[in-house]
Amino acid sequence: MEVDLEDNNLMENVLPPDEQEIDVELEAKEKKYLRGEGANLESLKDKKLKTQLASREKLYGKSAKAAAKIEKWLLPASAGYLETDGLEKTWRIKQTDIAKEVDILSSRNQYDIVLPDFGPYKLDFTASGRHMLAGGRKGHLALVDMLNMNLIREIHVRETVRDVAFLHNDQFFAAAQKKYAYIYGRDGTELHCLKERGPVARLRFLKNHFLLASVNKIGQLHYQDVTYGDMVASIRTGKGRTDVMEVNPHNGVVALGHSGGTVTMWKPTSQAPLVQMQCHPGPVSSVAFHPNGHLMATSGKERKVKIWDLRKFEEVQTIHGFHAKTLSFSQKGLLAAGTGSFVQVLGDSSGNYSRYMSHSMVKGYQVEKVMFRPYEDVLGIGHSMGWSSVLIPGSGEPNFDSWVANPFETSKQRREKEVHLLLDKLPPETIMLDPSKIGAMRPSRRKEKPTRGEIEAEKEVAIEAAKGVEMKKKTKGRNKPSKRTKKKKEMVENAKKTFPGEEQGNVAGKKRRIGDVDAAELPASLKRFARKN
Amino acid sequence: MGGLKRKSSSSAKSVAKSKKKKKGPHLPNSILKVIADQKRPLNSDEEEEEDEIDSDDEHGGDLYEYEEGVPEEESRKNNRYDRHDNYDYELPDDFEDENVESEDDDFDGGNSENDDDDDDDRHTRMLQSLTGMPSAAFQGESKSKPVLFTEAYPEGEFNPTRDVLEGKNVLTEEDFLAPLEGKPGYHKTSKQIARMRKDTKHVVHAPLPKPQRERLERKAVIGLVDGEFSKWVHLVKKNREAPTVYFNQEVDLGYSTVGAIASEFQPRTEFEKKMASLLNDSEVSEAHRDDGARLLELNEVSMEDHIKKRDHIAKIRNLLFRHEAKSKRIKKIKSKTYHRLKNKDLKKSSLGALMDPEMAKEEAMRQEAKRVEERLTLKHRNTGKWAKRMVRLGLNAKYDATRAAIAEQLQMNANLSRKMHSMGDGSSSDESDDEEGLNDGSDEDTPSRLIAKAKEKTLKTMEDDEVPNAGLMSLPFMARAMKKKNEEANEEAKRALEEYEEWENSGGENSKKPVSVSGRRVFGATAKVEAPKESKKDSDNFYDNSDSDNDMAGVEDNDMEDVRDNASPARNTGTITETEKFDDAAGNQASKTTFDVAMFASGSWKKMTSCKNTESKKESKKTRAPISQSQDKKGSRDEESEDSESEAEEMVDGVLASASKETFEIPSQAELINRAFAGDDVLDEFEKDKEEVLNQEVPKPEKPVLLPGWGDWSNVQRKRGISKRMVMEHEAEEKERKQKLKTRKDARLKHVIISEKVDKRAEKLHTTTLPFPHTSKEAFEHSMRMPIGPEFNPSTVVSELNRPEVVKKTGVIIKPVKFEEVNPNDEVDDEHPRNHQKQRSKKKTGKRQGKVKSK
Repeated sequence: MEVDLEDNNLMENVLPPDEQEIDVELEAKEKKYLRGEGANLESLKDKKLKTQLASREKLYGKSAKAAAKIEKWLLPASAGYLETDGLEKTWRIKQTDIAKEVDILSSRNQYDIVLPDFGPYKLDFTASGRHMLAGGRKGHLALVDMLNMNLIREIHVRETVRDVAFLHNDQFFAAAQKKYAYIYGRDGTELHCLKERGPVARLRFLKNHFLLASVNKIGQLHYQDVTYGDMVASIRTGKGRTDVMEVNPHNGVVALGHSGGTVTMWKPTSQAPLVQMQCHPGPVSSVAFHPNGHLMATSGKERKVKIWDLRKFEEVQTIHGFHAKTLSFSQKGLLAAGTGSFVQVLGDSSGNYSRYMSHSMVKGYQVEKVMFRPYEDVLGIGHSMGWSSVLIPGSGEPNFDSWVANPFETSKQRREKEVHLLLDKLPPETIMLDPSKIGAMRPSRRKEKPTRGEIEAEKEVAIEAAKGVEMKKKTKGRNKPSKRTKKKKEMVENAKKTFPGEEQGNVAGKKRRIGDVDAAELPASLKRFARKN
Repeated sequence: MGGLKRKSSSSAKSVAKSKKKKKGPHLPNSILKVIADQKRPLNSDEEEEEDEIDSDDEHGGDLYEYEEGVPEEESRKNNRYDRHDNYDYELPDDFEDENVESEDDDFDGGNSENDDDDDDDRHTRMLQSLTGMPSAAFQGESKSKPVLFTEAYPEGEFNPTRDVLEGKNVLTEEDFLAPLEGKPGYHKTSKQIARMRKDTKHVVHAPLPKPQRERLERKAVIGLVDGEFSKWVHLVKKNREAPTVYFNQEVDLGYSTVGAIASEFQPRTEFEKKMASLLNDSEVSEAHRDDGARLLELNEVSMEDHIKKRDHIAKIRNLLFRHEAKSKRIKKIKSKTYHRLKNKDLKKSSLGALMDPEMAKEEAMRQEAKRVEERLTLKHRNTGKWAKRMVRLGLNAKYDATRAAIAEQLQMNANLSRKMHSMGDGSSSDESDDEEGLNDGSDEDTPSRLIAKAKEKTLKTMEDDEVPNAGLMSLPFMARAMKKKNEEANEEAKRALEEYEEWENSGGENSKKPVSVSGRRVFGATAKVEAPKESKKDSDNFYDNSDSDNDMAGVEDNDMEDVRDNASPARNTGTITETEKFDDAAGNQASKTTFDVAMFASGSWKKMTSCKNTESKKESKKTRAPISQSQDKKGSRDEESEDSESEAEEMVDGVLASASKETFEIPSQAELINRAFAGDDVLDEFEKDKEEVLNQEVPKPEKPVLLPGWGDWSNVQRKRGISKRMVMEHEAEEKERKQKLKTRKDARLKHVIISEKVDKRAEKLHTTTLPFPHTSKEAFEHSMRMPIGPEFNPSTVVSELNRPEVVKKTGVIIKPVKFEEVNPNDEVDDEHPRNHQKQRSKKKTGKRQGKVKSK
């Protein structure tokens, strides 16, 4: 240990300040790639296992270091941000101000598309952010290539469209229409009519599981496998009609917001909700999940936005006086909330979400849906008069991973990717609250043993109770103080007896002494063979 | 009187025994006469005679000891082999003669007495087996009746007192020295004895008892062994802890190119040498270098050669043709019997076996079975009844045919049990074979075989000396040189053959006796010892193996008895009775008696110790087991508690909740909103929901109720209400439920219901047991946190992360661990894969180089 410390000191002495900074940066990244801490090996008794695990841990460290270095040197693009000087506030900066500062390519992402006839519009982006799907309430469906602003296909279904969703890539998309949900191809041909679901209110696609989840008007939740068309699960929520539905990208759990102010979380393999949370006193108007799956934002009609920590199911923050019809987290964790003709973006500064940017549209526009475009600093806003796109610096992930999502994907790559995705498809039972527990030990069904401390506490209580018992007054001869104390002592003893803790200790002690006893019992000739302690 | 009589008879028997023993060593006639003289006058008085004989026994012993020094040559001169078998058959006559001489003692009477004796002995044995106490304790009881002994003769050199005889009074050096006083060597010997007494340093103490000795040996050995083993500890530890063991380095793939192989080539066989000489011929190479013209010249073949070659080819072609014609003719023969006979012949002949692989296999199997049988039974190693008899009677010496037959048998045995130099034989079996050869190829056996082999080889070489007909060797001068050489070689071979024959003859002579001797030292006249020894061997091998010291003593029982008498006076009575008992038995069991005595003396004790050992072992095992168990339990509990602690910690860390900012709120607005949603009463509803869910998942215990008509026979019972037991049970269930509710995740979260239903479909994604090396859940789950696939790790580390435990190239021979110094403080370094075979291979190369140099 001392040597290590000295080494560190030496390093610090030798390294110039720049490299020190780099070191700190690298360490932070390394930590990210280590995915948590290693086990405490000190408690292990098996030396072989200990060294094996230690060497394994070392390898993990090596891997994390290499990954951190790669990230540092090969992913140089950093997220954008807004910097203000002095009293200027970031939320006062308007899109027009930004447009002056940014490059042409970025400025092309600021636009309003006015389609007054078929609004309000729902939006959806593909995972790569290359394509956008816009669904007008009155039956207008449009598939747009966002890179070159190319309208790929535009169709009118001539009935109400409640929601739209891309399937695994831009080749297919689903639309929740008046009576049924439909699946269309990229060229706008109708591929499937999903009649089983009834009139669908919301559609979401679970990318890793290839499940199309939908909730219909009568509050039924359906999971359909889009690879072979089976209905994996149809669940009656029993909470009434809802049109608030979001998927937790971390674990694939679907969250529904209900009129009673509860948010329920579902998985396809159980009919009962995994979690029910009473989030708001009034109806829940919107739900959004942070990409890391730990944070959930809900907004209620009582003009409050709440942010929840899903690991503890506790409220992290409440933002008052603010109602959001629609909420969306960006890849970098910015939270967009839209109400009326006003969109506000909250930034995560030191653990608290606070105002970061705001954008107000022309009065009379009603925001229907906000959604950040992946891998771009762009926020798409679907509203009653078409859709708009605004720049939110620092919202998108600057470096895309072509193995995960490639905005510049060729058709060949796309095909390749599709096969890979299908091969990597996860079965529906892998949807659970904590997917990192997959492969871990099965939680024991038996109730856990109470800890020693608990037992002690209970014992103490029992003893106190025994002591506090009022003795009956008996007839003259039997009411002797000695007898009473004796009786009391007995009672206390009895109370003690019911707790096995101490007895176990005694037993262990006995066991330990077995060798000695044996030695005493053995005949003289065999005494030398008795185990010596 | 009875006791005395018994004594006397026993003494008579012992005399007989000693006599026959003495007959063995063949006392010189003079001594025999002396003995006879001493006996004769005693015949007048019965008792005195007996006593005399008693003392004579002692004499006999002395005489016998004296006899021991008789040089072997003398006995050889006596042509003892002939005598030997005489001895075998004449003994009974002698015995009777003796008995006649000592008249009174009727044979029958002796027998009856013997029966008495036997009875006593049985009684003591029975007592011994019942009580487990040594027989000596009971012999006193049965035979301690005071008896008056009268000595007829004054004490003297030849008439020791009864105490001395019975071992109560041990003879000292003075006793022996006293009669020598005044004789020429006396002074010297007395001085020597005095010095010996003073010299305590060189006193040889009695050897320690066997178990103690062995314990000491073990102690000494264990230190050495520990040292030897402990130096391996670090190496073994390193290998055990290494994440990957490599067996892929330094593989000697041999030569990489044809050129390299060619450069290493050295001609070895005749043909190769010839070729090399031709290839390296300067003339030819020169011709090559100049131009092709001279090559033709060199290529010239003489007319003679050409004709010879042509003739040869013609001859071979002719032969082939004939053969073909013959086979055609044979093929045409339709007689079935002919073909059957032919096939049979073919089968019988080794050629057939060679031709047909299946037949060859069968043949090999049969041969192998035979070999195994031979090794098991040792049938042909003079262990047969006949062979034994022949050897015992010495007929093999007498008749050449017998000897030849025995030799043939031995040869067969040698052939069958010779170790096979085939690939199939494992090294271990080879070793065992070797050992066998060492053990039982008795001294004379192996050399004769060797000689025979050598002879064979020389003969073969002599026959093989043929001048090659063609090639370089057929050149006249070469032929001449070859002839000369061959003649020389032949001469040498002849000389060698003669030598071999000489050896063989002498070996044959030698072989007469040591057949039964088998490497054991023999005292006195060997021929007489042979028979009893063999019988003893038959009787019990175990003892034979166990203690060689006693065995040696057993060769001459008199000697042994003396030793015993001197060494263990306490046990004396017991041993004497034993000997007495066996003395009556048939003549050649004499040595067996001593052996049996030895068994009595030490065998029981041995058994005792062995029993003790096993018991103690069991005991120790038992005692160890529970303790380790308890330790395990304790450990597991510790781990559990640690686990729970760590879980608690996990729960604590993460993003902390921060206090909400109440100051922001506009009261009037909030009030308004509250008022707006007041009617819904959502919270109550949720609480109800939670209650419901909890009741569903942790069902409420049923309340005990009074059923009408049950338990209310009278008013009294009704007054009592529900029985206490039911109430208690209910309470316990309630308590349990409360406990369960407490341990739920949502116990403290008012606004959250977390379902704890078990998802059966998801259960297959978990392990039910910890995978092998892991012992703690926590450590396992932590080690699982990192994905090791190529999607999640930089390509530089992926291979390392997924490396198998053992990396081995195909074809690499895994050699046993070689010792190397390992620094225990060195950490396991996976970046530089260690090579377990490096040193070894290095050495190998060194060796190879050395070999090359030596060449």
